Amino acid sequence: MPKHYRPTGKKKEGNAARYITRSQAVKYLQVSLSVFRRLCIFKGVFPRDPKKKVKGNHHTYYHMKDILFLKHEPLLEKFREMRAYEKKVKKAVSKKNKDLAERLLTRKPSYTLDMLIRERYPKFIDALRDLDDGLTMVHLFAALPAIERENIQAERIHNCRGLSLEWQAYVSRTHKLRKAFISVKGIYYQAEVEGQKITWLTPHALQQVMPQDVDYKIMLTFLEFYETLLGFVNLRLYHSINIKYPPILDPKLKALAADLYALTRYVDAKDQKDGSNNEESELRLAQLQHQLPANEPGALMHLVENTTDENEEDEETRTCKNLFNNMTFFLSREVPRESLLFVITAFGGVVSWEGDGAPFEESDQNINYQIVDRPTQSHRFISRDHIQPQWVFDCINARIILPTEDYMVGKVLPPHLSPFVDNEAEGYVPEYAETIKRLQAAARKEILPMPGGEQDDLDNAHNLLAEGIIDRTKAKEAAERKRKMTILQEQYHKELKMEMEGTQNTPTTPKESKKKDVDEETDDANLQQFADDDDNMSKVAMSRKKRRLYEAMKISQKRKKDSVDTLKTRKQNIQKSKKSSD
Amino acid sequence: MKKDGRRKVKDEDLKPVEKEDVVNEKDVLTDSEDGSIESPVVSDDDYGSFSEDDDSARNSDSESESASEQSEFSEDENDENPSNEGDLSDGVDDINQEYQSASEDSREVVDESDSSEDEVGPRNTIGDVPLEWYKEEEHIGYDVAGKKIKKKERQDKLDSFLARTDDSNSWRKITDEIEDEDVELTKEETKLIRRLLKGHAPHADFDPHAVRPYVDWFAWDGAKHPLSNAPEPKRRFIPSKWESKKVVKYIRAIRKGLITFDKPKEQPRFYNLWGDETSSNEKGHGLSYIPAPKPKLPGHEESYNPSLEYIPTQEEISAYQLMFEEDRPKFIPKRFTSLRGVPAYEKSVRETFDRCLDLYLCPRARKKRINIDPESLKPKLPSRKDLKPYPTTCYLEYKGHNGPVSSICTDPSGQHIASGEPVKHVAWNPLPELPILAVSMGQDVFLLDTGLEKEEQKMISDLLQVETSTTPDESESAVSVSWSQYDKYEGIRIKHFKKLTQRLPFKLHGLPVSSTFHPTRSIFFVSTKKNVRVYDLVKKKFIKKLEAGVREISSISIHPGGDNVIVGSKDGKLCWFDMDLSSKPYKILKSHPKDITNVAFHRNYPLFASCSDDCTAYIFHGMVYSDLNQNPLIVPLEILHGHTTTNGRGVLDCKFHPRQPWLFTAGADSVIKLFCH
Repeated sequence: MPKHYRPTGKKKEGNAARYITRSQAVKYLQVSLSVFRRLCIFKGVFPRDPKKKVKGNHHTYYHMKDILFLKHEPLLEKFREMRAYEKKVKKAVSKKNKDLAERLLTRKPSYTLDMLIRERYPKFIDALRDLDDGLTMVHLFAALPAIERENIQAERIHNCRGLSLEWQAYVSRTHKLRKAFISVKGIYYQAEVEGQKITWLTPHALQQVMPQDVDYKIMLTFLEFYETLLGFVNLRLYHSINIKYPPILDPKLKALAADLYALTRYVDAKDQKDGSNNEESELRLAQLQHQLPANEPGALMHLVENTTDENEEDEETRTCKNLFNNMTFFLSREVPRESLLFVITAFGGVVSWEGDGAPFEESDQNINYQIVDRPTQSHRFISRDHIQPQWVFDCINARIILPTEDYMVGKVLPPHLSPFVDNEAEGYVPEYAETIKRLQAAARKEILPMPGGEQDDLDNAHNLLAEGIIDRTKAKEAAERKRKMTILQEQYHKELKMEMEGTQNTPTTPKESKKKDVDEETDDANLQQFADDDDNMSKVAMSRKKRRLYEAMKISQKRKKDSVDTLKTRKQNIQKSKKSSD
Repeated sequence: MKKDGRRKVKDEDLKPVEKEDVVNEKDVLTDSEDGSIESPVVSDDDYGSFSEDDDSARNSDSESESASEQSEFSEDENDENPSNEGDLSDGVDDINQEYQSASEDSREVVDESDSSEDEVGPRNTIGDVPLEWYKEEEHIGYDVAGKKIKKKERQDKLDSFLARTDDSNSWRKITDEIEDEDVELTKEETKLIRRLLKGHAPHADFDPHAVRPYVDWFAWDGAKHPLSNAPEPKRRFIPSKWESKKVVKYIRAIRKGLITFDKPKEQPRFYNLWGDETSSNEKGHGLSYIPAPKPKLPGHEESYNPSLEYIPTQEEISAYQLMFEEDRPKFIPKRFTSLRGVPAYEKSVRETFDRCLDLYLCPRARKKRINIDPESLKPKLPSRKDLKPYPTTCYLEYKGHNGPVSSICTDPSGQHIASGEPVKHVAWNPLPELPILAVSMGQDVFLLDTGLEKEEQKMISDLLQVETSTTPDESESAVSVSWSQYDKYEGIRIKHFKKLTQRLPFKLHGLPVSSTFHPTRSIFFVSTKKNVRVYDLVKKKFIKKLEAGVREISSISIHPGGDNVIVGSKDGKLCWFDMDLSSKPYKILKSHPKDITNVAFHRNYPLFASCSDDCTAYIFHGMVYSDLNQNPLIVPLEILHGHTTTNGRGVLDCKFHPRQPWLFTAGADSVIKLFCH
C-alpha cells in the first residue's frame, strides 16, 4: 500500500485538507486572480505556513477557513456584478448602442468597505493599532502626482491630502505628537492616540520618483482600504473632541495651500464654541474668521488655550503641550512649512510663515524664533533667534528647549539623532545623545555632571554609575580605560626615570615590554583556550535545538557587536584625523 | 436669365452649333412674339418664367423674322408618330402655336395651355382614328367648321432628301401626320425630350423632392361631414388595458423604491462606525488574525544629518559592492548639511509597494521571540571537581615514531604500551597471564609473543598456526582486530570479523568498519558504516541492530558493564547507546568539528574519551548506574589539546590506561601523549 493511500470516500485530513494553494483557492472561489488579490487585501486575508507543505515548498498556502471566509463575503458577489456590468457597457459601446451605454453608465454598481472595516477592527483601538501603514500610504499618495496612465486620479490624491491633513490637525490640536524625526526617507512622526503609538512617514514635499516596475493597482487597492479606514478613524477622533466631521475649511486658506492651518483654525474655533453645536453658526464662524483682520496676530492662535479638558490629559501630553508655550515662531520661505506648522502647533507654539494668508507678519515684535534654512540671513532681528529647522525637531525629541547657539544660521548643525533608538540596548551612545542627556538632567535640576571631556568621565566613573546614567558595561569600559591609562602612566614614569638616570636602557625597555607582551599573549591565548573549551563543553551537552538557538543568538550578538565596533573605530578615525588636521 | 447664362456656356463649348441656335432662338422668339398672349392658366411657375425668359430674350434680339419660315415651320408640322405626340405636346405647349388652315382666313390662334385636354388646337377634328382611313383620300380630315382639310402636296423622296441635306435643321424636324405638317422642334423641346428619355422630370427647374406646402385640393365647399361615415370604434372611448398594466407596473416599482424621482440624498460618507463599542462582542472569523509586524523604526543612520561615525567611508562603500546582494546594506547613510538640501527619497514608492506586497503575500505566523541571555540555555552540569579524577594535562610524550601512529594499545597491567606506525591495528590480549599482542597489517594478522613462558608458547604457536592458515584466504585487508575475554574455548582467540563472517552464516549489510566483543558474554558487535550489528556467537545468530543515524561510523567501544556502547562517527558525533533502552542512541553528542577517529571506555573509572582529526580528545564522565531506572549521566569534562595536525589528520587513536585515569593518545604527528590527572 502506498504511503499516502486514502480509501475512496474518506475525506482528506490534516494539512492537505486544511490548506490550499493560491491557484487552488482562485479556482475554488471562481474569480480571477486580480479579484482574489483585491479580496485578500480588503479582507486582510494572508497566507499561512502549514506545518507540512503538501504541494511543495514553492507554493503559497491559504488556510481553508480563510478561503471560506472569503467565499461568504458579499463583496465577492458585488465584484461579479461589476464585472457583468462592465461587460454590458462594453457590449453596448461596441454595438454603438449609445443610449444603452449611457443609461448603464448612470447605474454603475458601487460598493463600500464600511462593514469590512467594522469586521476587521471590531474595536476602535484595533483600528488605531493597524493605522501605521495606512497613514504612511495616505501621506505618500498625498505627495504623489496624479497619473492618468496608472489610474492615479487627481480626486484621490486630493482626498488623501485632505485625510492626512485632518489627521495631522487632530494630532496637533490634541497635542498627541510625541516624536518627530527627519530622515533621508522623509519625516517620521510618532503620536500616541488612546495609548497606541502610531508612527508614520511623510515623504519630503518634493517631486516623487515614480518607478515603472511597481504595480500601482495593488497600491491603489490598499489605498482604497486605508482611505476608508482613515476616514472613519478621523470621524471618530473628531467626534471625540466635539468637532463636526468632515470639517468645513476656509476657502481662502485652502486656495493658498495652507490647508493644515485652515484645519487647525477650524478645529480650534470649534473647540472654543463648545456649547453651541448649531451648524449654521459654526459655518458663519468659519466665515467670520477669515474676515477677521490680519493685523491681530496671534489672537486666533492663542484661542487654542482652553483648560476644559486639562484633567483628562496625562502627564506627557501636558509636557508636550507646554514645550513651546508662549513661543512665537516665524517660518521663512525655504523651510518645509507644513511639517513645521504641524509640529510646532502640536507642541503648543504659535506659528506664522512668509507668504499669503499668514496670521502675522515677519516684522511682528512677538516673534521669538525665526526658522530659516539658508546659508546667511540678510536682515536679522535682534529680538529673535534665527535658527535652523532641526532645532525644533531636536527640542521635541529631547522635550526641552535646547540652547540655540549650535543651530544658528550658517552653523554646522549637530547630528540629528533618531528618537526611536534605545541607545542602551543598541550598545552605542552617540556623543550628542549624551550631551542632550546632560541638558535634560540640568533642566530637571538634578545633579549635573560637568559637561566636560572624557577625562572627567574616567574619574567620575563611580559617580556616574551612582547616578545611573551610565550602565554597567559602560562603567566597565571606563574602568578598563582607566587601568590602561594608569599602566601607560606608570610606563611613562618609568621611562622618565630612566631618562633621568641617563642610562642607555631605552632599547631594553621595549624588549622587556615585548617579552611581557608575549607572555601576556600566551596567557591570553590560554585563557581564550579555556573559555573556548568551556564553551564547547557546554555546547556538547546541549540538545540540538538549544544548541542551534544558542548559536543563532551568538551570531546576532556578534553582528550587533561588530556594527557597534565599526562605529567606534570610525569615530576614533574621525577624531584622529581631526586632531592631525588641527 | 439663368438659362441664358447656361446657354452661353454651352455655346462656347459647341461653337459649330452656335449659329443655328441663334437662328432657332430667333424663330422661337418670333413665335412667342406673335403669340403675345400668354396662357393665363399656367399652373407651374417654371413655365411662366420660361415665357418671361422668352420675353427678355425678345427684348434683346432684333425683330428679324420671316413669315415664310414660320409658315413652313407650321406646315411641316405633321405627326408621324402618334405616340410621340403626347410627349411632345407638353413641349409644344410652350410655344404659341399657330394653326394654319388651308385658308389663311380660317387661321386662328389658340391659346395654348399645358394640359393635353386643352389641345383642341389642331385643326383636324377627326379624333383618334387610324390614319389609314384617310390614306386614299385627298384630305386628311375636317376642321371645326366641317370643311375638308386638304392633304399637302407630297414631295418626292429626292426632293425631300435634298431639302433635308440642305437644311441643317432637318434632324429636328418631325412630321405631324394628323395635321399633315412638319414641325421643327425648338432647342427647349429637344432638351425636354432628352430629359424625358432619361426619365427625369420634364423641366430642369422642377425639383421633385422639394417640400411644398400642402395644398388641399379637395374642395370642401362647406361640407360638414368627413369622408368616412363609419361610427367611432369603442376602443376610442375606453382606457387602454396595456397602458393600465404598464402604469401598475410603474406604480409598484415606485412603491418598492425601485424608481426614484429626485436625486438620492447625499449620505454622509463616514459615520460613527464604532458607535456601540460596549455591545460589540463580535467574534472575528474562525482563525486568529495575526497583525502584521510594524515596519522597522529608523535608527540614527537614517537621519538626514547623522553623526559622522554612521557614514561609511569610501572604501567601505566600495567593499559593499563585493558583498552578496543579500548581505549588502540596503541603506547607505548620507549627510546633508541643511534640510533644504535633502532630495526626495527615490525609493519611497518602491518601499511602500514592497510593504504592500509583504502585507498580502507573506505568510504570517506567530513566533515567540525569546529575549533571554544565551548563557542561560547552557545546561547545568555537575561540578567537574566532584567528578575527578580524569586526565587533564599532558604528562609525557613518547617520541620514536617517524610516521603517523595509527594504533595504540596498553597491556593489561598497564606497564607497556604498544603502538603501530604502518599497521592497521594493534591489540593486547586482555588476559594478563597470556601477554600476546595481535597486530593486523595489510592482509595479515600477526600474533606476537611478548615475554612468555615456555609451556604457553606452545599453545600460542598452535593458535598462530591456525591463524596463519586462515588469514591468507582473506581477500580483503584486515581492518581491525580485538581480543575476546573469557572465551568459551578457554583460551584466546583472535576474532577477525572477516573470517567470522565467513565462518558464521551472518550477513553483513555493508562494509565492516570496526568491531568489539562483549566484555562478559559471547556477544560480538560489528559496525558497518551505517549501523552496528550485534551477534550472539554461541547461538550463532543475529541479535540486534543499533541505528546510529549518523553519516559514517568510524569506531565503536563498549562499556565494561556491557550494556552501553559508544559509537564515534565521521561527522563528529558520538552516540551513546543503552542496549536495554532502545536501538536508537540514548544521547548524541556533537563534540568535534571533524571526524572522530576513535572512542574508548575506561575499564574501571566512569570515563570515556573520543579523539578526532581536529587534534583534540574529549574526556567525558559517563556514569552508568546499577539502578536500571536511572539514566546514565554523561558530562563533558575536558578537552585535551596538544597534537598538531599532519596531512589533515589529528589524533588517530586513544586508549585509557587500564588502571589509572590516564589517557594515551596517538597522533598523526608521530607523537604519543600521556595525559594524567
